[in-house]
Amino acid sequence: MVQYNFKKITVVPNGKDFVDIILSRTQRQTPTVVHKGYAISRLRQFYMRKVKYTQQNFHEKLSTIIEEFPRLDDIHPFYGDLLHVLYNKDHYKLALGQINTARNLISKIAKDYVKLLKYGDSLYRCKSLKVAALGRMCTVIKRIGPSLAYLEQIRQHMARLPSIDPNTRTILICGYPNVGKSSFMNKITRADVDVQPYAFTTKSLFVGHTDYKYLRYQVIDTPGILDRPFEDRNIIEMCSITALAHLRAAVLFFLDISGSCGYSISQQAALFHSIKSLFMNKPLIIVCNKTDLQPLDGISEEDRKLVIEMKTEAMKTVIGQGGEPENEEGVLLTMSTLTEDGVIAVKNAACERLLNQRVELKMKSKKMNDFRNRIHVALPKPRDQKERPPCIPQAVLEAKAKQAEEEKRKTEKDLEEENGGAGVYSASLKKNYILASDEWKEDVLPEILDGHNVYDFIDPDILLRLEELEREEGLRQAEEEADDFEMDGEELSPEEQEALAEIRKKKNLLIQQHRMKKSTAESRPVVPRKFDTDRKFTTGRMGRQLSSLGLDPSLAINRARSKSRGRKRERSVERGEADGGDAMDIDGNQASKKLRLRSMSRSRSRSRPPITEVVPGEGLKDSAQKSYSYIETKAPVLWETFHWKDRQALRHEIKLCSEGERSFTFYIKCLFKRFSDCRFCFTSRENNGVTHAVAATGKRFLLDVYWVEEAPPETMSLADADRKNVGPS
Amino acid sequence: MRIEKCWFCSSTVYPGHGIQFVRNDAKIFRFCRSKCHKNFKMKRNPRKVKWTKAYRRLHGKDMTQDSTFEFERKRNRPERYDRNLAENTLKAIKKIDKIRSDRASDHIKNRLKTGKVQRQKEARKQLEQGIHLVKAPLALAQDSSLHLPKIKVNVSQAQTEGNQPMEE
Repeated sequence: MVQYNFKKITVVPNGKDFVDIILSRTQRQTPTVVHKGYAISRLRQFYMRKVKYTQQNFHEKLSTIIEEFPRLDDIHPFYGDLLHVLYNKDHYKLALGQINTARNLISKIAKDYVKLLKYGDSLYRCKSLKVAALGRMCTVIKRIGPSLAYLEQIRQHMARLPSIDPNTRTILICGYPNVGKSSFMNKITRADVDVQPYAFTTKSLFVGHTDYKYLRYQVIDTPGILDRPFEDRNIIEMCSITALAHLRAAVLFFLDISGSCGYSISQQAALFHSIKSLFMNKPLIIVCNKTDLQPLDGISEEDRKLVIEMKTEAMKTVIGQGGEPENEEGVLLTMSTLTEDGVIAVKNAACERLLNQRVELKMKSKKMNDFRNRIHVALPKPRDQKERPPCIPQAVLEAKAKQAEEEKRKTEKDLEEENGGAGVYSASLKKNYILASDEWKEDVLPEILDGHNVYDFIDPDILLRLEELEREEGLRQAEEEADDFEMDGEELSPEEQEALAEIRKKKNLLIQQHRMKKSTAESRPVVPRKFDTDRKFTTGRMGRQLSSLGLDPSLAINRARSKSRGRKRERSVERGEADGGDAMDIDGNQASKKLRLRSMSRSRSRSRPPITEVVPGEGLKDSAQKSYSYIETKAPVLWETFHWKDRQALRHEIKLCSEGERSFTFYIKCLFKRFSDCRFCFTSRENNGVTHAVAATGKRFLLDVYWVEEAPPETMSLADADRKNVGPS
Repeated sequence: MRIEKCWFCSSTVYPGHGIQFVRNDAKIFRFCRSKCHKNFKMKRNPRKVKWTKAYRRLHGKDMTQDSTFEFERKRNRPERYDRNLAENTLKAIKKIDKIRSDRASDHIKNRLKTGKVQRQKEARKQLEQGIHLVKAPLALAQDSSLHLPKIKVNVSQAQTEGNQPMEE
């Protein structure tokens, strides 16, 4: 509610700031650029706008001030009085009035000057009119500067006033200074009021809240009141008086029995009597505080008399309310805030009295009747006369009884503290487990076993199921064995396996060979192979291969040998034979590669011979070949004796001499020049075994071998044989 | 503490291993290692990735349905502890495990049996057809056993000796 929350009032700027704010706003929010060349109406409009804008802003701001500040007549009289006490109603009203007049003045100024501006005939004239208008408005504001400052002060103070709801349940604490009102307040509420030994520690009202029977009560702590005539009271005291006067609350009048506040009981009693008019229609309780210092019974007779007097007064209020004069203890109570003795009792008594009073009032008002008509409590009609008391289980009754007897149960916390405290002792969570057997309480069950969660397997009838499973498994295994037994037939014998392995090996070999032979761009030599460069087609190899297949190779070898022509001394063939010697002598690509490389290199080194070589069965290719080949084929041994350079020259010579068919004698004629000595004799083939053997032997060697003064051993036997045949010649 | 299953490869994830991914629809994906996690992030379907259990089960490589799988079921209601039951359970787990792994290996064996039979037939055929590579039909006619003939080589001793320096 607006009235009780003064914190929302906007800040009131002081005079200078006010002017600055408004003027700068005008400057920013209206167009600033104007030239004297503009149309006159435009100029006028420009300046009129500025004037109007300024006036509007002033009006707005001043209106907000006037509206937000509370009007003392409109708010609750408690607040009205409080504000009056604090700020002086007249001054307050005056200040606001001044603001109002200022507002009106500014409006008038603006109106006048706008009228004048309508007839301004030049930029300069208009401008000076505007300047004058704004100037006058600012002066007005400057004049109300002090009011503005005053209002700002009030606003700040008002914002800090306690938010007291005048209509709700309230308990008011009053009495002399230093009697213990604030400490009582601290005890029953969460308020943290200053408690000091000097008087007038509490300088204004303080609010706290407390609960009683599920209702919230405001507790208001007042500054101390001195016994003075009304007119002499200062502002602080007036605050409490106001509160007392206007708030419909239960009043707790505090009495310091011990006199340690610095005032005697008689003085306090005198105060009581002077303000008792304020206690009209309010539940009053007289509280004797500081009984720890001086119990109530121990005071002197006169003091006691005074106290009794006060009590009777208080009683009057009770009766005055229309309630029965009940327990007299409800009127005069003793307590000590220091020892907290009786504090709660006081609070309860006050709350109770207040509640009763309020309820009664409400009941009396007319509204209640309306309300009461609407309420109807429906009770079920009794079916029969049977008694049906509430049913409380036996265990609960027993527990209640036990609880009443028992001192204090031993809690877990106590156990923990006994055994070494929080860090040392860890409570056994398992000790209250309800299990079939108590021995199982400390059992530790593994959670994980062999990659499975044990909890997933727990099942009350796991044994049964396991048995079933095992039975099934037994059956299944028996079936399987039977199956396996059937299946055994088809294995290969070891011999067969060996054969199969050989077949596979052979096949792999063939494949490999084919892959090597296969003429891809990589494997194809630049110089093509004409003859068997690998030197594979030998009778020896053939013989081995055939015998490995199980056939007798001798016939085949002989036939091949008889048909074979005397080839040139091919050295690499013998070399090939000298290697493994087995049909499978291309074991691994390595050996074959070597062969191939060597054969390739050989083909490279013999640039000419390939042309001259004659493929058996093909015949001579061209005349050149014909011409060269005659010597080379017919007398290869002879041909070989010539150095390769000579061979070249020889060929050339032959070519030059004649074309076409040449006779043997022709060649002799060409060649004999080169020899120192030349002799001819004829030997039949059968007798020429030596030469043949020598040649054969020679073919086997890689490099040139020279037999000097001796012959290869193999030929010796042959030579003997020949000699015999030939006879002396 | 539970052993979980990797969402991708269905292997067991022990506590302290792997990564758990919670999607915005609150579905939890657990992974046993970064391999599976990365595959998942690449949006690969485990049913198409050869080495996962999902693939293997789907394509019949591994055993899918069996009564041993029913023993292991996630139970949400805890049972009251009973020592005998616990003992029996622990023993049963081992037995069930053994039975399950036996059945799984049998399944795989059966699967591979047809291949074995086929291979044997093939071998037999190859033997029949390819015998000519190692034993000439003539020799086979003379001697029908599969005893492989030996190689006969005419190599005289002197020659081989003489060749020794050449071999380098």
